[in-house]
Amino acid sequence: MKRPLNFALLKYYTTVDEACVDDVMDALSDEFSTHRAFKRDKMIESIKTAEKNGLLDETRFDRDAKGNLRIYYSASSEQKDIINSYIK
Amino acid sequence: MPSSTSVVPDASLVTEKKRLDAGFFKKGIAIAIFSGMLYGFYSAFVVGAQTRGVWVDWSATLAAGSFLLVFILPTIASAVNDTCSAIWALIVTVKQGKFRDFILTLGTKPGRIQIAAAVAGGPIGSAAYIIALSLAGTIVTPVAALCPAIGAILSRILYKQKMGPRVVAGILICMFGSALIGFTGLTGDLGPGVLPGILLALLCAFCWGIEGCVGGYAACMIDTQVGITIRQCTSALVNLLIIIPLLSLFGGDIAQSMSLVGSAFMDVPSLIFFVLGGLCSYLSFMLWYRGNSMCGTALGMACNGAYAFWVPLFTWIIVGVFMGFDGYMLPAIAWVAAVVMVIGVTIIAVNPLDFFKKKEA
Repeated sequence: MKRPLNFALLKYYTTVDEACVDDVMDALSDEFSTHRAFKRDKMIESIKTAEKNGLLDETRFDRDAKGNLRIYYSASSEQKDIINSYIK
Repeated sequence: MPSSTSVVPDASLVTEKKRLDAGFFKKGIAIAIFSGMLYGFYSAFVVGAQTRGVWVDWSATLAAGSFLLVFILPTIASAVNDTCSAIWALIVTVKQGKFRDFILTLGTKPGRIQIAAAVAGGPIGSAAYIIALSLAGTIVTPVAALCPAIGAILSRILYKQKMGPRVVAGILICMFGSALIGFTGLTGDLGPGVLPGILLALLCAFCWGIEGCVGGYAACMIDTQVGITIRQCTSALVNLLIIIPLLSLFGGDIAQSMSLVGSAFMDVPSLIFFVLGGLCSYLSFMLWYRGNSMCGTALGMACNGAYAFWVPLFTWIIVGVFMGFDGYMLPAIAWVAAVVMVIGVTIIAVNPLDFFKKKEA
């Protein structure tokens, strides 16, 4: 692990157009699968916290193949700049 | 925010989404309110600790009004409490498997911001608060509770966090509730410690306002548990290694102060209270950071600000009722102020117009 989990989550959003929690977890699973906080509900809370604090925007929502609510988020170029300025 | 896809989401999906958003928001508010209640317990245990063991001997033997008694002893109390709190935070961090995140975060920019915010809110803010409590009693608490206003204004300026007229009105009502308790305390005979106590409480409000705003923002990047561990460790170390020696240079003797610190840590009757106080302050600040980052600094701090009521209440219950010390009875106006604050928080959290909209629907 090169970065703390929360930093890796935010940094991931600077590399994609949009992503839901499952996309984030798929992308980070190699590095963080053994991390005790690497759980879906905790990751959703981290993403929503970032959204509430203006680091991410919600883009759309739908249902996944299992019928669960799936919310997508993205970071605008300004938000990406902020994240990149705090997290190297 | 509405869906940006061309497909219109079905009604059940929209309802589920709204429920998720509302749940997150309400959880943030509940966390912030609970953090205020725990702050009440933390204050009560710290006040209680200073009525036991060596603290009683020190109060009896040291000259009343001496620099040591007024400034250094309360700072030692703050340092002992913060050390206990830091140990609790480290234990939980290790248990949650986040100790590596804690170490990794220390060297990052958000980590350094968190440390700077912790210096303002921890050693400076908390020491000012505990000295103010010792000087003037719990009437300083409502003054310190002005920190939401400072935090909200700074958040508006620095981070462009939205603060509509309803939120502003709610915050003002909460502050009015805090002030009600403060002004009641001032109607009696003013002791010599009241004015410096209130000035120190104002300094504390400013430091906590900065911390809630700046630390809260860094905390949305840092995991909350990691953030609070950084905060409590910074506060304990700076208090013990910088603030106490610095105060001792002004009006004491470093060797004597360090000897008192050693005695405070070895004194079991009071240490039990500090261990409990440390647990409550760790939980209180952790939930404060979490609440702030979940529902916005302005609202989080306003909900937490009800500690202006919880502090005198729990101090009365623990120190007055259970420990049998006089002078901690809660004035009737405090109950009125509590209701005012609940109304304020409700107005911030719930738009009254929503009730009419529901009726129309």
